[in-house]
Amino acid sequence: MIEQYIMSVFIYVCIYIILTLSLNISLGYTGLINLGHIALFGIGAYSSTLLMMNLDLPFIISFLSAGIITSLFGLLLVFATKKLKGDYFALATLGFSFVIYSLLLNLVGLTRGPLGIPGIPKPSFFGITLTTTFSYLLFAIFITALCVFIIYKIVHSPFGRLLQATRDDEIGLRVLGKNTNLLKYKSMMISAFFAAIAGSLFAHYITFIDPTSFVLHEVILLLTMVIVGGIASFKGSIIAPFIIILIPELLRFLSIPSAILGPMRQIIYAFILLLILYYKPRGLFGRVDLA
Amino acid sequence: MVFTQLLINSLIIGSIYALVAAGFSLIYATNKFLHLAHGVCITVGAYLLFLLFTQLNISFPIACILTIILTSLFGLCLYLLIYRPLQKKKTSSVILLIASLGLLILFQNIIQLFFGANVRSLGYLRIEHGLTIFGAIITKLQIIIMCVAILLFIGLLFFMKKTKLGRDMRAVADNKELASIVGINPKKVAIYSFLIGSALAGVAGILIGLEQNMEPTMGTELMIKGFTGAIIGGIGTVAGAIPGSYMLGIAENFGIWYLPSGYKDAIAFILLFIFLLFKPEGLFGVVKGVKE
Amino acid sequence: MKQNLIKQNLITIKNLKKSFGGINALDNCSLEIKKNKITAIIGPNGSGKSTLFHAISHLISADSGEIYLDENEISPNMPDYWIASLGIARTFQDARLFRNLTIQDHLEIALSQNDDSLLKSLFGKKENFDEKIKEILHLVGLNKPLNTLATDLSYGQRKLLDLAAAIAKPHSIMLLDEPVAGVNPVLRNEIKHILKELHKKGETIVIIEHDMNFIMDLVDYIYVFDYGAVIAEGIPKEIQDNKKVLEAYLGD
Repeated sequence: MIEQYIMSVFIYVCIYIILTLSLNISLGYTGLINLGHIALFGIGAYSSTLLMMNLDLPFIISFLSAGIITSLFGLLLVFATKKLKGDYFALATLGFSFVIYSLLLNLVGLTRGPLGIPGIPKPSFFGITLTTTFSYLLFAIFITALCVFIIYKIVHSPFGRLLQATRDDEIGLRVLGKNTNLLKYKSMMISAFFAAIAGSLFAHYITFIDPTSFVLHEVILLLTMVIVGGIASFKGSIIAPFIIILIPELLRFLSIPSAILGPMRQIIYAFILLLILYYKPRGLFGRVDLA
Repeated sequence: MVFTQLLINSLIIGSIYALVAAGFSLIYATNKFLHLAHGVCITVGAYLLFLLFTQLNISFPIACILTIILTSLFGLCLYLLIYRPLQKKKTSSVILLIASLGLLILFQNIIQLFFGANVRSLGYLRIEHGLTIFGAIITKLQIIIMCVAILLFIGLLFFMKKTKLGRDMRAVADNKELASIVGINPKKVAIYSFLIGSALAGVAGILIGLEQNMEPTMGTELMIKGFTGAIIGGIGTVAGAIPGSYMLGIAENFGIWYLPSGYKDAIAFILLFIFLLFKPEGLFGVVKGVKE
Repeated sequence: MKQNLIKQNLITIKNLKKSFGGINALDNCSLEIKKNKITAIIGPNGSGKSTLFHAISHLISADSGEIYLDENEISPNMPDYWIASLGIARTFQDARLFRNLTIQDHLEIALSQNDDSLLKSLFGKKENFDEKIKEILHLVGLNKPLNTLATDLSYGQRKLLDLAAAIAKPHSIMLLDEPVAGVNPVLRNEIKHILKELHKKGETIVIIEHDMNFIMDLVDYIYVFDYGAVIAEGIPKEIQDNKKVLEAYLGD
């Protein structure tokens, strides 16, 4: 039983590593104050689920298609908001997450609204179905390692360096002949793609999704992870999810009733976020300020 | 008469939104960052009244006054204990925005910890028959809500136009550097804007607590409505935020004439998004802070 | 005959106008920038010199007027990064650097033509600019380790890196906005030396400068700006003796 629990915690850690790294691409490396990342996570989870359940597509196809669909939403978001800067951009992306939330809640024909979608099939490929938690953990670790490798390659490539230059001085980069709008579109599409991979990994693990998994307090959790790890810190985005997920899990061992556990966890996240913003705004491993 | 009923409903909810938006705008105008934790001040107001009136049995008028004062001080504490220290470290407005989101979630969950997640009601002025005006039903409480809101708006606008402090606030809102050169203390202005803004949130909390039920997450939803109203009217202009919020109330109530009622919240989000994309300066605002 | 004249010009500007809230920053401004020459634009503060550079690089859009690069008119709707890729390199009064990137990063970004493609960047052949970077840094005399972050550079070093990036960026003309403003006298002379070297190599340079002494023995031709218009032009010797110029400066 305890093994099951520990494995499940590590599956969450894997999901959040992908999610944190993907948010760091847009927020940290490119400097897009993206508060709508949770919506992209949700779109990924729902797309993969619906493609597999409604269209009977094989898992791998749904999994990757969800990435592509979500990256189109990412493109839509950043294209629509291309004229907005600073607070206004942040507010628009926050608004985007509310819009997506209320669509998930209200497009009942598609998403079953507040009832959520139960019975999401476990991944299966090459004749194997991942029914046990252990097999899912191995799968999650494999996918996470793959994502970490690809994202590492992207952010450390000349392209990744241009994203950082976009963050540091957009005009300075434009006069060197680089189309920074296009760079932002690409950055957000990549960011959204990996958010969807995380979303899909999440949906097929817990086999039930409803809109409440993609609401505001989840945004705080993500921001906390990115900022604790450090803006544009690759290492930080891998380590922070371990810390942030494992700390509140310790509460479980104090036999606290579950009605208190939920809010306690949120309080801890919010508290960590405020502390890090005050004492170490560059995070544990970052060297970049969020301006 | 469906039309009059919808119009009256729009004005009632618009009054609440406008109270939220006015405080939010006032704080934004003088501090230039988005204080999203303004939402939790409303929740704090509603639950304070619940604590003082329903649980501690303090008489209603005194409980209301205490609630407004305490909410106002709560808002001030957020400024002095969180935002101000961050500002001293030359933190960008985006970090303050993220911090305010953190505060919103923090206090929302603290309230949930103390009062539970379930819906609470004040049980005051609840059971009564509505009056009928032009075929629309309106309760005495709803009339009180509108009157209180309108009186407060008149008072607020008068304060901003006629008093020295109000003029100082407008000066800081317009140009902080220039204002401090001519001897206006921006810190004092910031303190008063948090006091007044949060007091308005306290009033909104009381009114919404009387009119509807309360739950710990109510502040987040009202916050979204409030800043949508503020964006429609032009964020940073208190005088614009008020009509903007009434327009939001109208759009929501008349919108669900055509759309399923589940979309009521979506209307606000979509309006917010449309205004941010196409008219970020709002209907009555000036273009500022949109571009570099 | 007229056509011929344009051929010798790298940039030709005709009747450029730009006003900000009723104030004319550029008022019917016309001028010609000759190939392989250093042209200076001088004038009092706020006379529209930087506005001219911003208008050429499309960081602001002019209200009216024409700008030709070689013989082709530049469409006013062309985005700024496109103008840059046509071969216009520029610096800013206040160097615009990427705080968290290194000296090497800056120059590689400036030199690279295809780093904005993700696929080429991931799978393409790695471009090697080491020789070029060495050469440029030697030319500008910035002898800091290549992995120094821009944020750790001094004011003068920032100016040099900005200049180095402009040199590195493929270009046919360089617009330098006050390259020696706020710089100590030693570095000032070094920068003058760099500009002379660039001149020898046949670069076309436009330089905005405040200080007449700095440009007198450096440039080939001078335009004097006041209130957004050219009030005098000529070779340095002519400008030195021009009464109007003295008035514009002294009457300030």
